[in-house]
Amino acid sequence: MKSTTKRVLQGVGLGLGCLLLVGLLVLPLFERGNDSTLFTLTLLLASIGTAISWNLTGGFTGYVDFGHAVWFGIGAYTTGVLMSNESDWIPQQWPLVPALIVSAIFTALVANLVGRLTMRLSGPYFSIAMLGFFVFFREVVRVMGGLTNRGVGLTIEPVINRPLWYYVTLIFVLVLVYLSWWLRRTRFGASLIAIREDEIGAEMRGIDTTRNKVMIFTLSGAITGLLGAMWAYQNTFLDPDIAFVEVRTIDAVMGTMLGGLGTVAGPIIGMAFLFVLRELLWTQESLLQTHLIVQGLLLGAVVIYLPKGLMGLVRGEVKLLDRFRKRTSTFEGMEAAVLDDEVLDEAAGELETEVSR
Amino acid sequence: MDTLVQALINGIAVGGFLTLMVLGFSIIWGVMGVINFAHGEFIMVGAYMAWFARSEWGIEPLYSALPIFMIMFVVGFILQKLVVNKVIDRPHLVSLLVMFAASIIMSNSVKLIAGADFRRVNSDIQKGFWELGDLATIPRKHTVVLAVALVVLIALQTFLQRTRLGKSIRAAAQNRQAAQIVGIDIKWVYAFTFALCIGITAMSGALTSTIIPVFPFMGPPWALRAFVITALSGLGSVKGTLGAAMFLGILESLVATYAPGNSGSQLAVITAFGLLVLTLVVRPQGLFGGLRPVESGAH
Repeated sequence: MKSTTKRVLQGVGLGLGCLLLVGLLVLPLFERGNDSTLFTLTLLLASIGTAISWNLTGGFTGYVDFGHAVWFGIGAYTTGVLMSNESDWIPQQWPLVPALIVSAIFTALVANLVGRLTMRLSGPYFSIAMLGFFVFFREVVRVMGGLTNRGVGLTIEPVINRPLWYYVTLIFVLVLVYLSWWLRRTRFGASLIAIREDEIGAEMRGIDTTRNKVMIFTLSGAITGLLGAMWAYQNTFLDPDIAFVEVRTIDAVMGTMLGGLGTVAGPIIGMAFLFVLRELLWTQESLLQTHLIVQGLLLGAVVIYLPKGLMGLVRGEVKLLDRFRKRTSTFEGMEAAVLDDEVLDEAAGELETEVSR
Repeated sequence: MDTLVQALINGIAVGGFLTLMVLGFSIIWGVMGVINFAHGEFIMVGAYMAWFARSEWGIEPLYSALPIFMIMFVVGFILQKLVVNKVIDRPHLVSLLVMFAASIIMSNSVKLIAGADFRRVNSDIQKGFWELGDLATIPRKHTVVLAVALVVLIALQTFLQRTRLGKSIRAAAQNRQAAQIVGIDIKWVYAFTFALCIGITAMSGALTSTIIPVFPFMGPPWALRAFVITALSGLGSVKGTLGAAMFLGILESLVATYAPGNSGSQLAVITAFGLLVLTLVVRPQGLFGGLRPVESGAH
C-alpha cells in the first residue's frame, strides 16, 4: 500500500480514537452517563483489557490460551478472600488497595508457575493444557473449604462509586494500550514476534525463548488478575460460576481475532465491534435468542476469510476479492502463516543488531 | 470391599461409554490434525436426535442409533467438504477457532429449536440392574453401551488394519505427502474419516442419552474428557482409547467413591484435569503411542 494512503488512514484512525476517548472521558458529566451505563462501559473496558492481555501471549507470541479467564477468576477470588469476612482463614477485611496489589502479585505468581509448565508445550497442546487449568482451578476453588467458603460464594461490603471505577478502568486500559504499543517496539517484544514466527530459529539466534515466554505469560496473567480483582470489588459478590466463566476467554479470543491478532489496536476495535453488535442484536426482540449464533457465524467467517481481522481489512492486506477470483486448492501450497512483513523486518533488524554486537 | 467392587464396576461402565464418545475425536485429530473443538456438540446433537425419536415415535435409542449414525455420517461429509477442508492446511489455531465457532452455533441453534431444558431419555432396554449376589449391582444401561462400544471398537480396528481404505487412512495420518505420491485420494480419505467419526460420535450421544442429562450446553465437559483421554492414549490410537477411557472412568469413580464429604464429583474433575496437565507436560506423545507420529511436544 502507498505510504500516503497509509498515513491518511493512520491519521483518520488516530483522530477517531481521540474523539472517542474525549467522549468517554466527559461521558459521566452528562445525563446519559448514569450508573448503569457507566457499569456496562466499565465491564466493556475490563473485557478490552482482558483481550489486550490475551493478545500479549496469543497474538504476539502465538501461544493461543484457551483458559485465559482463569487469571480473571484467580484475581477476583484473591480480592474476595482478602476483603470478605466470610473466608474462615482470613476473616479480617483488608483495605482495598493492598488487596488489589496482593491479587495482582498472587496471580502473577500462579501464572509464572503454570507458565513454566505449559509454556514448554507447543501448538494445540498448550491450548488444551490451559483449558484444563481453567477447569482445574474452578473446581479447586469449590473444594478449598474454609479459604473460599466452599464455593458458596463471598460477599464484599459494597461501596458503590461507578464514576470513580469507570475512570480507573479507563486509565488502566489506556496504560495497557500504551504498554502493548511500547512492548512491540522493544527488543523483548521483537523476540516474542520472532518466537511466534519461528521458535527454533529464534532460539538458535540466541533468544532465551522459554524465559521470554514465561515472562510475557506472567505479565499477561497479572494484568488479567488485576482486572478480575477490580471486577470483584465492584460486583461485591462472587462464586466459582461467575468468577470463572468460559465466556471471558471466548470474548478475548473472539475480540482479538475480529480486530486483528497480534496488533495493538486489534483487541480494542474487535471488542468494541463485538459490543456494538451485541447491543444491536439485543435491542431486537426477535434476535435476542440468535445473538450467539450470529456471533459464531461471524467468528467462523472472519477466521476463514479475514485471518488478519478488521485491522488487516483496513490496511488492505487482505484482498477479499482475490480469494474468490483465484481458488487455490487447500491441499497445495504451504501453510498460510499469519505474517506481518513490517514486524518481521523489525524483528529481523533487532536480531541482526544483536548478532553484530 | 463391596464399595470397592461397586466403584470398579461403575468405573468400567463409565469407561465403556467414554470409549465410544472419544474414538471419533481421537481419530479426527490423529488422521487430519484437526482438533474438533465442537466434539461435545456432536454428542449433544446425537443425544437430541435420540430424544426426539423416543418422545415422538417411541423408538428405543439402541435402535435409533444406527439411523442417527447414517444421518450424521452424511452431515459430517458435507461439513468436511464445506468448512473443514478450507482450514485443514492453515495453522492449528485456525481450525481450532473454526470448530469453536461451530460449537457455539450448534449449541445455540439447538437451544433455539428445543429449548434449554434438561432432558432424560427413557428406555425399556437400557433400564434396571443386574445384581451380582450381595456384592454389587451392574447397571444395564451402561452394559448396553459398553457392548456397542466393544463392537464398534473391533469393527473399527479391523477396518483400519485390514481394508484398503483403512490402510489409506493410516497412511494419510503418517505422512500425507507420501500417501499422495503413492496415489491415495487424500480428499476422499479425509472426508470419509471425518464423516465416519462424526457418525460414531453422534451415535455415542444417542446411546448415552439414557445415562447422562441432555441439554444444549452439555458438550464442553465431554469434549474436555475427550482431550484427557486422547492425551493419555496418543492420537488416533483405537486400543489406546479403550485403555485410557477405562483408566479415566475407574479413576474418577474411585475418587468419587472415596472422597471425603460430598466433594466427590469436584475431586473427580480435579483428578481428571490434573492428569491431563501432568500427561501433557511429562509425556506429550501419550502413553500408548498413536496413529500419527508426534511432531509437536515439549522442547
